Amino acid sequence: MDYLLLILPAMLKGTGITLKLFSLTLVLALPLGIILALARLTKFKPLNIFMQFYVWIFRGTPLLLQLLFVYFGLSFIGISLERFTAASLAFVLNYAAYLAEIYRAGIQSIDRGQYEAANVLGLTKIQTMTKIVLPQVFKRVLPPISNEVINLVKDTALVYVIGISELLRVAKTAAVADFTFTPFIVAAVFYLIMTGVVQQFFKWLEAKYDFYE
Amino acid sequence: MKRKIALILVLCLSLGVFMVGCGGSDSDVEDNSWIDIQDKGYFVVGLDDAFPPMGFRETGTNEIVGFDIDLAKEAAERLGVEVKFQPVVWESAIEELNGHKVDVIWNGLTITESRKKQFAFTAPYIEDKQLIVVQNGSQITNKADLEGKTVGIQAGSSAIEAVQKDAETYESIGEMVEFGGNDEALLDLAAGRLDAVVVDEVVGRYYMSKKPGEYDILTEHFGLEEFGVGLRLTDQAFLAELDKVLSEMKADGAAAEISNEWFGEDITK
Repeated sequence: MDYLLLILPAMLKGTGITLKLFSLTLVLALPLGIILALARLTKFKPLNIFMQFYVWIFRGTPLLLQLLFVYFGLSFIGISLERFTAASLAFVLNYAAYLAEIYRAGIQSIDRGQYEAANVLGLTKIQTMTKIVLPQVFKRVLPPISNEVINLVKDTALVYVIGISELLRVAKTAAVADFTFTPFIVAAVFYLIMTGVVQQFFKWLEAKYDFYE
Repeated sequence: MKRKIALILVLCLSLGVFMVGCGGSDSDVEDNSWIDIQDKGYFVVGLDDAFPPMGFRETGTNEIVGFDIDLAKEAAERLGVEVKFQPVVWESAIEELNGHKVDVIWNGLTITESRKKQFAFTAPYIEDKQLIVVQNGSQITNKADLEGKTVGIQAGSSAIEAVQKDAETYESIGEMVEFGGNDEALLDLAAGRLDAVVVDEVVGRYYMSKKPGEYDILTEHFGLEEFGVGLRLTDQAFLAELDKVLSEMKADGAAAEISNEWFGEDITK
C-alpha cells in the first residue's frame, strides 16, 4: 500500500500525458475525418484518388512506424518537430484515416431517395449534407467510432518509442527501478478506468440519439 | 490523362518524402559542435531511463538518478554548461543522436568495434564484466554446463557480442532468447523458463540486490568490457572537451567518489 502511494504521483503524471494525447487526437481527428470522408466521396477524381492513397498509407502501415517516421524521418529532411507535436501529428493523421472510412460507410448508407427528396424540396447540396445526411450518419457511426476511441486510449502507449513518458512507460520505469510487477497492475487499472469511462459515455450517447428507429 | 498525372505526382511526392528520410547527408561542414553547445548553454543527454543503476527513475520523486547521471552533472559543471536529460528508447539511440534530438548517449554504453562506426566514443570510464546469472541452487556451475540450455539476454546489448566471441560456448548453447530489458530476462529466469541470463555486472548486481537469495553468479564470465559516452561521429570538438573533463575527474578522484556512492567500490577506469 505504501508502495502504491509512492508510485502514484508519477503514474498520475503519466496518465496526464496519455489523456493529453488522447483528447488532442480526438479533437482534431474527429472533424478531420469528416473532411477526408467528403473528399473521398467527391466526384473530383484526383482528390478522390489522393484520398484512397492517403487511407492506404495510414491504414496500411503500423502506427509505431508512422511515429518513428514523423519524429526521426522528418528530422533528416530538416523538419524537426517536438516529441509531443510529432506524436500528436502521427496520431491525428492515422486516426483521421480510420475515422474517414467509418464516416464514408455512414454517408453511403443513407438512401439515395433522401437526396432526391431533398432536391425536390429545393434544398442545396450543402443543406442536404448538413441538415439531412450528416445527422443520420452521426447516429449510425457511433458504435464503430466508440471502437476507435477505445483503441486510441490503448494506442497512446506506443509513444514511448519517441521518448515520451506516458502511463505504460512510467509503469515500466518504476517496475525496472524496483524490480517489481506492481506498477503494471496499477497501469492496467488506470487503462480500465479510462476505457470504462469512454464505454459508458458512448452508451449514454447512443441512448440519447436513439430516435427515428 | 489528368488523373494519371495527378496520381503520378502524388506518388512521386510521397515516395520522395520516404526516400529523403533514408538519405542523411555527410557534408564537410566545419565542426562547430562545441561552440554550438556553448552558445545554447546546455547539452542533452539521451538515456534509457529504465536502466538502473546507470540511469533510472527514483521511486517517489520520479527524478532521473544514477551513476551516469551524477557523472554527467559533474562533467557539465566543469564544462561550464547545463545538462538536460532526455529519456530515449534504446533501439532508437542512433536516430536520436544523428537527428540532433540529443547530443550524447550516456547510458552504460559499452564500447564495441561495431558501435565505433556509429558513435564517437570518449575514453572508457568504467570497466565491467558480462556475468552469467543462474537461479540460486542451479546445477549450472560453469560455461560448459550451458550446453543445450536456454539463455536470456537483452536485445541489442553488448552481451550478445560478448557471448558470440566465445564461439565454443555460443555454439553449445541450446537457445538464446532476446528480451527488451535485463529485468524481463531475470524475471523469466526466476520463473524457471530460462536456465541462465548474461548481463552487465553493474546492472545484474543491482537487480540481485533487490531479490536477495534468488540468483547466483558464476565465477566464469564472458569477458571484460568498457563503458564510454557516445557522441555524433562529426562532433570531434565537443568530444575533445568532454574527454578533457572526464580525465580530470578521474585524476582528482571525483569519478571514484561517485563510483563509491553507487557501487560501494571504485570501478572507474
